[in-house]
Amino acid sequence: MNNVLKRTDVLQAADDLRRHTLPSIALPLDLLIYLASTRDYNTGFYYHDGLASRFAQEVVCEALADCHREAFQELVGASLENLVAQMEAYIASTQTSPHDFVVAWKKLEPYRVAVPVDSDTLTSDFLFSNFRIALAILQARLNTPRTAAPASSPHRLLAQ
Amino acid sequence: MIQLVLYLVLGAAFLASLYAFARRSASAEGGAQIILRARQALSALQADLLPPQVFERIFANGDYRYIISAGDPALTAMFLSERRKIALSWVEQIRRQIVSLREFHLGSARLHSQLSPRVEARLAFEFFTLLCVCRFLQLALYLRGPYAAPRMVGRVVAVASRVCATSEEAMGFLSAVKVDRLAGKSAHKMTAL
Repeated sequence: MNNVLKRTDVLQAADDLRRHTLPSIALPLDLLIYLASTRDYNTGFYYHDGLASRFAQEVVCEALADCHREAFQELVGASLENLVAQMEAYIASTQTSPHDFVVAWKKLEPYRVAVPVDSDTLTSDFLFSNFRIALAILQARLNTPRTAAPASSPHRLLAQ
Repeated sequence: MIQLVLYLVLGAAFLASLYAFARRSASAEGGAQIILRARQALSALQADLLPPQVFERIFANGDYRYIISAGDPALTAMFLSERRKIALSWVEQIRRQIVSLREFHLGSARLHSQLSPRVEARLAFEFFTLLCVCRFLQLALYLRGPYAAPRMVGRVVAVASRVCATSEEAMGFLSAVKVDRLAGKSAHKMTAL
């Protein structure tokens, strides 16, 4: 009975999160990074002050983990073309130089710490592999004129 | 002298019974491990390896067409190498989980589940076919890249799904509670070690 009640609370908290906080973050990549940033790397627990004022910490943690898994699955399902477009949009939103961004991401591979803790190895490896390819594409675009790049407009792709 | 022989015989019998007892408990523990591994293999196959969204994504042609459209041979080579690694890892994981399931069917399943000889024979044939196809697929992926054998990928998924369905039926005797208990026991043993 307790478990059922708790699960209902988790669903309510996740719904609250989806309606109030997450709509301002449109892309799965942004969502993945945002949700990973709400996780304490020492304990693996997720924290959110706004939700914590209405739900128990355990419930908040599980709701954030649910949304994190959802964003991860969505990003894994995204085509390479779409991932590249999402990364371009993400670079634009961070206002860093695309060159610095690509160099840093290739070296540090920050996406490795952005995946949910219980994701299976194959799926995580697949996403990491896609990130590596997307970074190589972005780097190739930076080194060559824009017309030589694959014909994809981030805005068109992201609207799909 | 007769007394000495008698004591020696009794001692030998005692040692023999101790040895037999040790062997029996070791094999019971091994059996529990095999059942637990098989259960984990089944859920890994059904949840992580065989769903269409997993293998369709790995072998998606759209990504390849997108890379080709860039017209950069270095990018294409990198893409094919990355995808080949993932594809090989996918097949290897399927093969390993299938080997765990086969161990279960060769040992514990016979003691606990009621599979008919016909089903067992069909299952044995499917294990054999599946492991052979996995090896051929690995070879094809290794030599000719990730898009070398789409029909073989389909065959692996189809046969593995059938094997999973039969294994699930054979594991019907295992309730979730029993599996949790087995998992608890093995975790406890690991902690003790």
